[in-house]
Amino acid sequence: MADENTEIARGLRRRDPDLLDYLIEKYQHRLLRYLLYLTGRREMAEDFFQETWIRVLERGSQYDGRHEFSTWLFTIARNLVIDDLRRKRPASLDSLLDVDGAAPFDLPATGQPSAFDATVQREQNEQISAGMQHISAEYRESLLLRFQEGMSLEEIATVTGAPLGTVKSRIYRGLTALEPWVKGARL
Amino acid sequence: MNPDFINNDAMNSDPHQRARLLISLSGPEASNPERSWLAAHLESCPSCREFADSTGQTIRSLRGLSITAGARLVSTTQLRVRQRSLDLQRRQERFWMICTCCAAVTFCSAITAAVLWRGCAWMGQQARLPAPLWEGGFLVIYLMPAVLVGILLLARGTFLADYNGSYQDWS
Repeated sequence: MADENTEIARGLRRRDPDLLDYLIEKYQHRLLRYLLYLTGRREMAEDFFQETWIRVLERGSQYDGRHEFSTWLFTIARNLVIDDLRRKRPASLDSLLDVDGAAPFDLPATGQPSAFDATVQREQNEQISAGMQHISAEYRESLLLRFQEGMSLEEIATVTGAPLGTVKSRIYRGLTALEPWVKGARL
Repeated sequence: MNPDFINNDAMNSDPHQRARLLISLSGPEASNPERSWLAAHLESCPSCREFADSTGQTIRSLRGLSITAGARLVSTTQLRVRQRSLDLQRRQERFWMICTCCAAVTFCSAITAAVLWRGCAWMGQQARLPAPLWEGGFLVIYLMPAVLVGILLLARGTFLADYNGSYQDWS
């Protein structure tokens, strides 16, 4: 993995377009998912998706290959979103909590289990998806990085620029904030 | 395993809070003693057990949410990145060309300045001009090419900005 990161760092310094094509394809779903959870709006997330890769091209020489590429990528994406918010109005990620007119998150197609199980699972996912749109963007971000990206607490702290204790607290509070939606799905 | 995974938190004074935090942060960072303590606590605490079930369900649902990027978004991004890459490459080449030109001009100026100075001095003596006059003439002749090029570049920049909205977008 370290070798792969070193190779990526070398390629980014050269601004290798083939490497960038490969990285865009490799991280397409993960980056878009992160941006979508961060912004809550598909159009906005897609704009930031493109801008993030332009930024990766321009600042590729800053990536040293010592950390995971995905951590660096998410940090860039996050900074872009924050910068954009600051330009529009002085704010933190919390201003993304406004969900009026937000497009719902895509839900997965039902999987292999029985039709009943799949329906129940889908309903639960829908409830969680709805809940995610109503909780603070900072909680949403931490939950995504932890449970979908499988990042360690230290990596989440690096991406979000928050102290470790704050990260733990956000995950705990985020899960607690989602509890009513889980219970709603069970009723 | 990190023994301080949970121990440094203020929340650990209350065993239920500690258990809930451990459940929420369920991950490889928790140490074996912490896992054992949590298992024992869940055996004896129905409310924390219920929280664990609920949180487990939330985490499973979170992992089940799927979002995919469309093929069009990916191809558009790749195209934009390639265009930007070419643009940066051209800009880099231009930058090096300008640097080389500046170095060549500086070198030539350094060599010709002495010759030009002597030429102006000789002409000043022949025409019986006062020294400040031919020295001023030398300055004008010496600086004129740079001033002219500067004016031309400025005019070109202004023209491009008027024509295309911004100078940078032209390239």
